[in-house]
Amino acid sequence: MKIHVYAGLKDYFQSEFELRGEIANTDELRAVLVKINGNAGPLLSTCRFAVEEGFIDKSFKLNAHDTVVIIPPSSGG
Amino acid sequence: MRMTPSSSYPPAAEVSALSAEPLDVVGLLSRAHHPGAGAVVLFSGEVRNSNRGQAVLGLEYEAYGPLAERLIGEILAEAREKWQLHIAVAQHRIGRVAVGDSAVVVITASAHRSEAYAANRYIIDRIKHEAPIWKCEHYADGTKEWGNNCNCHTVTGDIHKHIYESDPTQRP
Repeated sequence: MKIHVYAGLKDYFQSEFELRGEIANTDELRAVLVKINGNAGPLLSTCRFAVEEGFIDKSFKLNAHDTVVIIPPSSGG
Repeated sequence: MRMTPSSSYPPAAEVSALSAEPLDVVGLLSRAHHPGAGAVVLFSGEVRNSNRGQAVLGLEYEAYGPLAERLIGEILAEAREKWQLHIAVAQHRIGRVAVGDSAVVVITASAHRSEAYAANRYIIDRIKHEAPIWKCEHYADGTKEWGNNCNCHTVTGDIHKHIYESDPTQRP
């Protein structure tokens, strides 16, 4: 599974990286990422997730070939 | 002298929602005229030289481009329909933006001013809260920080639900 992160998450992870192993949904993905870097936990808890340019929620079934974009709270304008 | 109506504004699709180049505020406004519009409202969000007591040298904007473009397009389409706008355009900078430069422009045009004002506030509110665009502040002391994130979830309890300034019914 390919992961892309933006903005403040780049303080904790590379902007693009790959995760191996089964990750069924965004809750599991968040838990995996917190294991990798616990300091990212508070920010990850506020992030939205997207696959194929659309937001997903925790009911979305992730696949190993998905590219998941992790989207911190917006701060445009 | 024969008065001819201004040429119609190019479709919104011709104005990219994101720009890595300085925003042409005057150019965008100069094209924002429509024979049916008695009111044109332009909002320019500009980079301030301070934030929370710290001197700011400039901002750097990053976006998840495909989703930001799509979302801004949807917001403009909704506003166009809701307020019967003749023109609705929004363009946001990405990359480094200096103090005093425009980071985002929203232009709305409608038959009467109340609709143009309301729609403009609605559009900028939703862009600020929802579009996957982020600012990194570069301070005069050499530090930088990704910040000013939308924190509506602390009130709404849902990262997908927001509180908009333009909607008084949603204010806590």
